[in-house]
Amino acid sequence: MRILIIDDEKQIHRFLRPALEAAGYTIVQAENGAEGLRLAANNAPDLVLLDLGLPDIDGQDVLRKLRSFSDVPVIILSAREQEAEKIAALDNGADDYVEKPFALGELLARMRAALRRKASSGKDAESVRIGDIEVDFLRGEARRNGEVLPLTRREFSLLALLARHSGRVLTHRQLLTALWGPAHTEDIAYLRVYVWQLRRKLGPEAEKILVNEPGVGYRLRIPEE
Amino acid sequence: MPREDDEHRPDPDALILAAAREGKGRLKVFLGMAPGVGKTWEMLAAARRKYEAGTDVVVGLVETHGRKETEAQIGDLPVLPRKKILYRGREFEEFDLDAALARRPQLLLLDELAHTNVPGSRHAKRWEDVAELLEAGIDVWTTLNIQHLESLNDAIARITGIRVAETIPDRVLSLASDIELVDLPPAELRARLAEGRVYPPETARRALEGFFREGNLAALREMALRHAAQHVDAAVADYMRAKAIPGPWPAGERVLALIGPDATDAEGVIRYAAKLADVLKAPWIVLHVERPGRLVDLHGPFALAEQLGAEIETVTGNDIVALTLDAALRRNVTQIVIGRGRPPLWRRLTGRTLAQALARRAEAFTVHIVARPVGPVRWLERPPPLPSGPWPWLASAALVALVIFIGIMIPAIPHEAMGMLFLAAVVIGASIYGLRVALFTAVLGFLSWNFFFIPPFYSFAIGDAGHIVTICVFLTVAAITGGMASRVRNEVAAAQNRVQSLHRISGFRRVLDAARTEHELLAELARQGAGIAGKAVVLTTQEGGELTLRAADPAGAALDETAWAAARWAVAHNEPAGSGTSTLPSASWRFLPLSTMQGVQGVLGVAAGEGVAFTEPQLQALTALADIAAVTLERLRLAQEAARSAAQSETQQLRTALLSSLSHDLRTPLTAIRGAAETLRTAWDRLDAATRADLLQSIEQDTARMHRFLANITDMMRLESGQIVPRLAPVQLNEIVEAAIARLEGGLLITVNIPPDVPKVLADPVLLEHVLVNVLDNALKYSPANSLVSVAASRDGKEVAIRVSDEGVGIPPEDLPHIFDSFYRASRGDRVPPGTGLGLAIARGFTEAMGGRISAISPRPDALPGGFPGTVITISLPAAE
Repeated sequence: MRILIIDDEKQIHRFLRPALEAAGYTIVQAENGAEGLRLAANNAPDLVLLDLGLPDIDGQDVLRKLRSFSDVPVIILSAREQEAEKIAALDNGADDYVEKPFALGELLARMRAALRRKASSGKDAESVRIGDIEVDFLRGEARRNGEVLPLTRREFSLLALLARHSGRVLTHRQLLTALWGPAHTEDIAYLRVYVWQLRRKLGPEAEKILVNEPGVGYRLRIPEE
Repeated sequence: MPREDDEHRPDPDALILAAAREGKGRLKVFLGMAPGVGKTWEMLAAARRKYEAGTDVVVGLVETHGRKETEAQIGDLPVLPRKKILYRGREFEEFDLDAALARRPQLLLLDELAHTNVPGSRHAKRWEDVAELLEAGIDVWTTLNIQHLESLNDAIARITGIRVAETIPDRVLSLASDIELVDLPPAELRARLAEGRVYPPETARRALEGFFREGNLAALREMALRHAAQHVDAAVADYMRAKAIPGPWPAGERVLALIGPDATDAEGVIRYAAKLADVLKAPWIVLHVERPGRLVDLHGPFALAEQLGAEIETVTGNDIVALTLDAALRRNVTQIVIGRGRPPLWRRLTGRTLAQALARRAEAFTVHIVARPVGPVRWLERPPPLPSGPWPWLASAALVALVIFIGIMIPAIPHEAMGMLFLAAVVIGASIYGLRVALFTAVLGFLSWNFFFIPPFYSFAIGDAGHIVTICVFLTVAAITGGMASRVRNEVAAAQNRVQSLHRISGFRRVLDAARTEHELLAELARQGAGIAGKAVVLTTQEGGELTLRAADPAGAALDETAWAAARWAVAHNEPAGSGTSTLPSASWRFLPLSTMQGVQGVLGVAAGEGVAFTEPQLQALTALADIAAVTLERLRLAQEAARSAAQSETQQLRTALLSSLSHDLRTPLTAIRGAAETLRTAWDRLDAATRADLLQSIEQDTARMHRFLANITDMMRLESGQIVPRLAPVQLNEIVEAAIARLEGGLLITVNIPPDVPKVLADPVLLEHVLVNVLDNALKYSPANSLVSVAASRDGKEVAIRVSDEGVGIPPEDLPHIFDSFYRASRGDRVPPGTGLGLAIARGFTEAMGGRISAISPRPDALPGGFPGTVITISLPAAE
C-alpha cells in the first residue's frame, strides 16, 4: 500500500514516515501542493494524507485538482479548527479528516477504514452490517438481531446513505442534498430531528454507531473488528 | 403641456403590470428601521379603522412580544387560532395558512414578513405564505424591518457588525402595492427601549449597546426612508404611465441635465446638475440630444457625468425642445438644467435661443440656465447700489443746462427740435438715475424749454393747449423710461444676487468639504459664519441630546442665558430663533438649526449687531451655509460611525489571525512530539537504531521550539504589562553578538564586522542578546539556505548602529511599517515559515525599553538587481561615554 503524504512541516514527515512504514505502508513524501499533485498523478498512491495549510497552493485547491483525475481516498491532516475548512474539504471530496495533534492509532484506524471502503466499493453490496445492525438495501429495511426496525422511508434513506459510506463523515450539506434536495442545504434542523428519531429506533448503542461530528456532519462508525 | 393626442395613450407595459395585480390580493408593508418603532401597533390601528368601517379583517398572526399597548390594539379584531407544530419534541405555534385560506377574509394581518417557519410548515418562509394568500385574492398587511432585505444585508452587516440571518428577496417588497414607513427618530426609539417598552430590561440594556446604537439606527433609518421613497417613486411612475397622465408628479425631485447638439458648456451643465442633485438628494439624468448626421465628441462630458453618478441617455432628432420635454415627462423629471450655449445673434434677438424656448414651453418644470463661467468669486459683494445723494439731481440739472446752452449757442434750431433735445435729456436721466430723477428732469426740462425757447421768451406763461400736451408727453416719457430703467436695474441686481449666492454656495461647499474631522468642520463653519455676520458660534447636540459649544469665531465668544435658551429652542423645534425671529427676539444672537433628514445636528449662532437687523443676502448666505454644514456634518458623523465599525472588524481580523497562528504554531510541534513518542512506543522493535535516535531528537527539537514560542509569549506579556526594567551598563558589542549567535541553531553563515574603534554601548546585556537573537532568527527564517547574514556595527554620532543584513526574500513595501507589530506575520495565515509573529515585536520592545531605536529597510541598498532583495535591520543604541 502506497501512501502519499503532502505536508509542508518537516517534523510531521519525520515521524510519520517511520510510523507508517512500521505499519507496513510504503511512503511517498511531498512538501508542497504542486509536488504533491505531481506525485499523486505519477505514483498512483492508494491513499493521500493532505495538510490544508500548504505554502504554494491552498489545500482545498490541491484537493479539487486531485479529484479531477483521481478518486484515491484522501484524509485531511489539519491544525485548523475551523469547521468551515473541514466541511469545505469534505464537500470537495475528502474522505475523512484528523485534527493535529492526532493520535497515531486514530490516524491508522481512519486510514484502514478508508482503504477498506475503497476495496469494497465497486461491488454493489446488498447489505451492510454495522455492529448488530444490518442495513438491507435490497429490501429497503434495517434489522437488529434479525428483527426489522420500524423505520419511516426517510429514516431508512438516511441510514442507508450513511451505511453506504460507513466510516466516512458525510457533511450536513451532503446529507441534506441527497435526502431533501439542493433547496434545503441549510436546514440542518431537519437533519437533527431525523437523526434523533433514527437513534431512538436503533437502540441503546446508537450513540456509538451514528456519530455526530459537531458542526460538520455525521458518520456511521463500524466497530473495529 | 400641449401634446399630441395619441401620446396620451396608456403605456402597454404598465397596463400589463396593473392587470397582473388585479384579481389578486394587494400587499401592504409597514416598513420600519428596527424592532420597536411601532410597526405592529400602527398596522393594528389602521386595521381597526378598516374593521370598524366594515371590512372583513382577520388577524392571521401578530407577535405582541408581551407589549401591552400592542396587545390592547388588537381589541375586538377576530384572531385566527394558531397552528401547533411538533418539532424536536417541542410544540411550536405557527400561522395557520390553510385556516386563513378557508376563512378567506378580505384583509389578513400577518406580522413579521421575514419570519422563518418551523420545519414541517408548508413553506419555509412566511413571505411564501403571503405570496400564496395574495395569489388567492386575499389582501395582506404585514410588517418588515429594513435589515431583513437581502440586498441591504451586506451593507447592514458592515454598519452594525451584526449579520441578519433571516432575509427576504427584494422582489417580495416590490410585490407590495403600498409601503407605509413607520418612522421614529433614533433617540426616541432608544428612549422607548430604555423604558423597557420593547424588550425586558436586561435584553434592552444589551440591545442599546449593540444593535440599537444611535449610529446604527441612524443608518438603518436612512436606508428605510430611502427605500420607501424609491418605492413610492416607482409606483408613481407606473401609475402615471398606466393612466397616461402627462406631467410630473411632485414626488421626490429628479434632475435632468440637457446637453444640446453643439454641446457647448456641457461640463458646466453637468457639474451644476450634479450639485443640484446632491443638494436635493435626487437622482439625475444627463440627456444628450443629437442632431441626425452630426457627431460631436462627448467623451469628456460623459465620463464626467458617469463619474458624478448620472445616468446618461442619448436621443436623436431635430426638435430639441420637444425631445427634451418628452424625456423629462417620461423620466418624471422635475428640474431641467441647460446651458446658455452660443446661439447665433439672430436667435438671441428674436428670443429663439434654446434656453428661451425651453423656458417658455416647459411650464411644468423648473428650468435652470447655467451661468457662463465668470471671473473669480467675489465674496459677498452687494449689488451696486442705486446712485444716491445730490449727484443724480445735479447731474440731470447739468444735462438740462447743457441743452439750454446748446439752444442759446445755436439759435437756428427751431423750438420744436429743442423740445426733442430736452426729451433726450429726460430719457438719459431716467435710464441712469431712475424714476424720481426722471420726473425731476422732465419738469425742469419742460420749464427750461418753456422759459428759454417758447415765445413769450423768458416767461413761464403757457401760450396754447399744445404746450399742455407737450408737458404731458414729457412726464409720460419720463415715467415710462424711468420705470423701465428701474426694473431693468432691479432684475440685473437680482440675477447678480442669484449668481453670487450660487457661487457662495459652491464656495461654502468647497471650504466645508475640505474639513476632514468634525472639529475642523465646526471651526470652519464658525469662521465662515463670522465672515458673514462678524461673530459666530457653533453648538452641536451630543449623545443624550445635550447642547454644547463646539466652535467660536472670534475665539472666546460667549453666550448669555437668553441666547442659550434661543439655541435650545432652535434645536428642539428645528426653526431659527433669537434676534430677528419671533422666538426670543430679545437675544443678541440668532440661531439657525443645522438640520438634515435625521434631525437637528446642532445650531449655527451669529451675533446680531446693536439694533441692526441682518440683511436679506446675509440671511440667505447664512441659511445656505447652515444647510451645507448640516449635510457635511451628517456625512462626517456617518463616516465616523462606519470607520469605527471598520476598526472593530480589523481588530477582529487580527484576533482571528492570532488564533490561527497560535493554533498552528503550537499544534505542529505538539503533533510531531506526540506522533514520534507514539511511534516509538508502538513500533519500537520494528524501528532501526538510527530512526529511533532521529525520533528522539525530533522530540527534543520540537520541545525546544515550543519552549521558544512560550518564552516569546511570556516576554511579550512582560513587555506589555511594563515589567521589563532594563539594567543599563556599558557593554562590549563583540561579546553579546557572539553569545547571540551561539544561541541560534544549525550551520549558519553569519559574518561579524565590529571594528575595534566602535565604543561600548549603554544597554542591558541580557535584553540586547535577546534582541539580537530575535533579529538574527528572523533574518535566517526568511533567507534561502547557504545565504549570508552579516552583523556590522559602526559609530553614528552619539549612538552606535548595529546592522543585521540578510540576502533573503525581503519585505514588501506595504508590510514594512508593520513588521514590528505583534502578530503582524500572523495576519498572513499559516502559509509562512513557522514562528510566533512576536520576534520582531519583542526586539522593538526591548530596544525601546533600553532607550534605543530599531528600523528596517528592504530591499537592502546594495541588493543585486534580479537577486534576492534582502533586508537590513538597524538597532541604534546610545554609546557608553
